[in-house]
Amino acid sequence: MKPGLLVLLNIFTQGILVYFLLINVVYMLFVVLSAFGILRHFRWTRFLQTQEIFSSPMSKPISIIVPAFNEESGIVESVHSLLSLEYPQFEVIVVNDGSTDTTLAQLVETFSLKPVRRIYRKVLECKPIRGIYTSSEYPSLVLVDKVNGHGKADALNAGLNIARYPLFCAIDGDSLLDRDSLLRVVRPFLEDPERVMAVGGVIRLSNGCLIRPGQTVILRLPKNNLARFQILEYFRAFLGGRMGMSMLRSMIIVSGAFGIFRKDIALACGGYNPKAIGEDLDLVVRIRRHCYRKKIPHRIVFVPDPICWTQAPERWRVLARQRGRWQRGLLQTFHFYGRMVFNPRYGRVGMLALPFYLIFELLGPIIEILGYLTFVLLIFWHKVDYPFAFLFFIVSVVLGTLLSISSIFLEELSSKRYPRFRDIFILGAYSILENLYYRQFLSLVRAKAFLDYVRGRNVWGAMEKKGFERT
Amino acid sequence: MKLYSSLVLVSFLGLAAITVGLFLTIIVRRAIVQYREREFASRYREIEVELLKLLGEPGVDGALALADRYAKFPHVLTDVLLNYARSLWGGERAKLSAIFDRALRPRFRSDLSSRRIVRRLRAARLIGFFVDQADAAVIQGLLRDPPIVRLAAANAIAHSPSTEAVPIIFRAFETDDVTNAHAYKNAFFSLQLRAENGIREALRKPLDLEKLEILIEIVGAIPIIALAEDVAAFAGHPDKEIRLRVARTLGSLRLPDMLPALLRLARDEAWEVVAQAVKSLGRLGSPEALDVLTQALFSRQWHVRYNAREGLLNMGEAGIARLDQVARQTLDRYAADMAAMGLADAASKGGA
Repeated sequence: MKPGLLVLLNIFTQGILVYFLLINVVYMLFVVLSAFGILRHFRWTRFLQTQEIFSSPMSKPISIIVPAFNEESGIVESVHSLLSLEYPQFEVIVVNDGSTDTTLAQLVETFSLKPVRRIYRKVLECKPIRGIYTSSEYPSLVLVDKVNGHGKADALNAGLNIARYPLFCAIDGDSLLDRDSLLRVVRPFLEDPERVMAVGGVIRLSNGCLIRPGQTVILRLPKNNLARFQILEYFRAFLGGRMGMSMLRSMIIVSGAFGIFRKDIALACGGYNPKAIGEDLDLVVRIRRHCYRKKIPHRIVFVPDPICWTQAPERWRVLARQRGRWQRGLLQTFHFYGRMVFNPRYGRVGMLALPFYLIFELLGPIIEILGYLTFVLLIFWHKVDYPFAFLFFIVSVVLGTLLSISSIFLEELSSKRYPRFRDIFILGAYSILENLYYRQFLSLVRAKAFLDYVRGRNVWGAMEKKGFERT
Repeated sequence: MKLYSSLVLVSFLGLAAITVGLFLTIIVRRAIVQYREREFASRYREIEVELLKLLGEPGVDGALALADRYAKFPHVLTDVLLNYARSLWGGERAKLSAIFDRALRPRFRSDLSSRRIVRRLRAARLIGFFVDQADAAVIQGLLRDPPIVRLAAANAIAHSPSTEAVPIIFRAFETDDVTNAHAYKNAFFSLQLRAENGIREALRKPLDLEKLEILIEIVGAIPIIALAEDVAAFAGHPDKEIRLRVARTLGSLRLPDMLPALLRLARDEAWEVVAQAVKSLGRLGSPEALDVLTQALFSRQWHVRYNAREGLLNMGEAGIARLDQVARQTLDRYAADMAAMGLADAASKGGA
């Protein structure tokens, strides 16, 4: 082996060590920031009564848009729960995106929907709408049946064309909202109506949970290992990452599964981009860009207590598809909006949020995989210091575990937590386990997504839906 | 490498200790939280039972005794008082005030002027029910706090039965920065008809356009019929947004006397104002508006046609007859389509 190559490998290895240190320090900082944010939020809202918001005339009406493609397993349950939400004025617009299963038939039959000629303005481009259905029994429900195409963004745009209210909430067809979620998530719009453009809430996993009629979610840990790992991941992502970003006023993701936007600003930005793989991220970045360019004071906020329940994949293959898509979405965002990165014109988004996602979220898995490859090469060349490598591995596991335990701590601070002591121990055990194979699997998937994107493979990929368990 | 290895070993030991420590903290914290929640709930029930007993009794002696007994549990007592203050009035509310004065007033005062936002916020929640004239100046200060405190304070003041509350809130609105103006909407609305004089006086002052818009809107939202003339006076305002809000408010007030002002707005140069005026005319339901609404169906603007259709649908049989006429004509296909869809809507709702 040539000495020059060895020097290069050494430099690269040390670079990886520095990166490893940096990424973990940044994540820990986020956890600390989030802990402050969550504590502050719950102290501030200690005496807040949601009835105050309910009775306020300034609580703007909300259009809830639910894109549904082959959601037969849970769509009826979802719509029932949405219709029973506590909010003074809202409409539920289900957009059947050319489902090939019984989604449309189930909805029509369950809610006694009838086709109507409804007038709407086609402000945003979308695939043709085949029919609009309403029901005299459920006046706040509208079903839009459209031709499939261009993915979820197209369905959301169709819903936006039909939506009548100044705020809209995009949620997934397989999700459930807590009964007072809208009242809680709309609070920032009341407090700062001029500047708040979008608000995101917490997404939690419903796998294993029991749904009581009337929409109460009884928290239970799922039996599936994969779902348990994802529970920890969601804690880290929402209670750690998003809350931390919100504290730094640098939010650029409002989850597509549950977020509220001002319709006027979304329309001004051209609605959802049908070309975007991650339509939620794309929209928020465009809103940010629009506001910075037009010098509009704006805020995008994360609120840690309104909760949306969604189902996580319980099979490796489906999870890989989902995560691959998320990663390609992130990559595409940098492809589309790369000029905003490190650009002071875009304030904290350009100088903080986008660089963070670029360096740690986008490049992270690639650097991790390159690290593993380097390690294999060094083994091959007999250049591995095994005691050091072993120690480093143990440290990385402990650090990963610490991050996950911290996220369990954040969950403890939040309003909804797994009630049994046993659950904490189980999650604690999974905090260790996930560092042994789950994290590596995800890094591999995300690195592969990078290659897929470069090769132009950008299929959405089917998701499996299981439906909610009822008491 | 040895240095690296030692560093990594030290990191490992440190991190492992922190991880285990954090995990134990979670367990201990959970145990404490659950214990406190149980304690809180049981204390709450205890106070609630005693409060319910003394609500039927004459005088406030029982209330004062309760205050003395539970003064050392201010959080629970505050929760009970807030929950009951929402549904009690008159003499029964006076008992709550007596408890508050005895057990919580000093703490409330120190919270009001505290440097910690959480305390000011906690105090703000109580203002609505237990405000005192002496605290007016400090309360006004809360209206310049960050949005969450400001909104809470404005809401609370508006719910306060004190006559001092109204001037406080209007003074703050007039002097506050225009970017904060929207935060006052809630408060104005909560004041309901008590806001009448304040709005009337404010409408006569030279205010920022945004503030003026808010005042006009709130007249329609409450609604305050007595201010109809004051609002109609702005129908000729040079700013389009103001005229638009005048049109909306007059529609919400549903006063036949406002027909001339709305007819004038229906001929406005800005189509947005016309669209709103047409909608308001529909709400008014006056037969004199039939011709204007029918004419509006032929507008080049989609929103105007749509609102005209909705307006005609609101006017019952006469409106539906007009829609039928327009649907049959062939000179303007857009008007015909809009009218036909209106008829289809009416049919699906059983209105035709």
